[in-house]
Amino acid sequence: MRALLIAATTLMVAPAPAMAEPDLRGFWNLSFGSEQPPADLIAKLPANTVVIEDTGVVEFPKDEYGGLKMKPEALAKATAWQPEDDMLVSRVCLAPSIVYALQGPFPFEVYQTPDLIVLKYEYFDQVRLIHMDGRGHPPADAPHSKMGHSIGRWDGDELVIDTTHIAASTITNNGLDHSDKIHMVERYRLSEDGKSILATQWFEDPEVLENNGARYIKWTRQTGQYVYPYECDPSFALEYERIGKPAGQ
Amino acid sequence: MKSRALAAAVALACVVPAAALAHHSFAVYFDPDKEVSITGKVTAFRFTNPHGTVVLDVTDQQGKVTEWRAETNAPVVLMRRGWARDSIKPGETVTIDGWVSRDGKPYMRLRRAVRADGKLIGSAAFGQADQS
Repeated sequence: MRALLIAATTLMVAPAPAMAEPDLRGFWNLSFGSEQPPADLIAKLPANTVVIEDTGVVEFPKDEYGGLKMKPEALAKATAWQPEDDMLVSRVCLAPSIVYALQGPFPFEVYQTPDLIVLKYEYFDQVRLIHMDGRGHPPADAPHSKMGHSIGRWDGDELVIDTTHIAASTITNNGLDHSDKIHMVERYRLSEDGKSILATQWFEDPEVLENNGARYIKWTRQTGQYVYPYECDPSFALEYERIGKPAGQ
Repeated sequence: MKSRALAAAVALACVVPAAALAHHSFAVYFDPDKEVSITGKVTAFRFTNPHGTVVLDVTDQQGKVTEWRAETNAPVVLMRRGWARDSIKPGETVTIDGWVSRDGKPYMRLRRAVRADGKLIGSAAFGQADQS
């Protein structure tokens, strides 16, 4: 009996078990309002980082890159880029990498377990696996993909995702491309009311950029919704080719 | 109903932020400061991602017919605003307003489309503070 009392007392004074991780499961859609990012979230970005403001609906016109400083070769390539370059049957349905796709105005679903988080994006039907089991990234010569290889960890109540092995693709959708050496770190946390995810997306690419880039993104949880199939149809490019030509030709 | 004359009144309207993108950049292709409104007979409606396309013959006051193409937001975005694959049918007359192509071609980005009876297609227009 005495032993039981001691055990009970120990339980009462023992620290509470670690708080469960925030529940990010659900359907999330971009929050389209304009608001200032939380200062403490921005403060966690590494030095020499510019926060580019092309999140969501807004996009940069040609020759504007939001403060990203490019190495000469990358700048020359971006300057030479023409919009028509991407309006080809062979290119119009090439999925952008997660570096650009993350900020677009398309929703995604989150499936969450202690060891694995799955992000299912509507944009181009892309899926990411976020490994939460403590593994590292594969060797540098392992295959690269548009979604890359992601490992995650909890930093308090914030989910930090580190992604490498991203195949070369666009950063700003206007000629500025990243290399397959790009490295991306995202930080996600729930808003105080639990209805939104507040996130930063940071990236460095020593082959392309002189400085580092970041975006602030906010998504809002919506119930009863699902992502739709995207099923990109490259024949859209044929419509573009026909612009201004006489009908029937 | 006979197509009305081309009403390509390219007006310097209020600055309107770009509509939602799909694969290519709105800002690169379309002028957010130049609005256009056209009325014509639909010859085709493509409802596939990355963008839908409405093709229509627009007749001007001199009787000249110009084939216009109106690019829509991604159909996944349209579906959440009440659009479907058969929302627009070849042969019907529609009026479309939106933003004109930067290169001067008969190409535009659709903000909204209305039928000949004035009824809006879908539940809401596209544009400022767009929701996908």
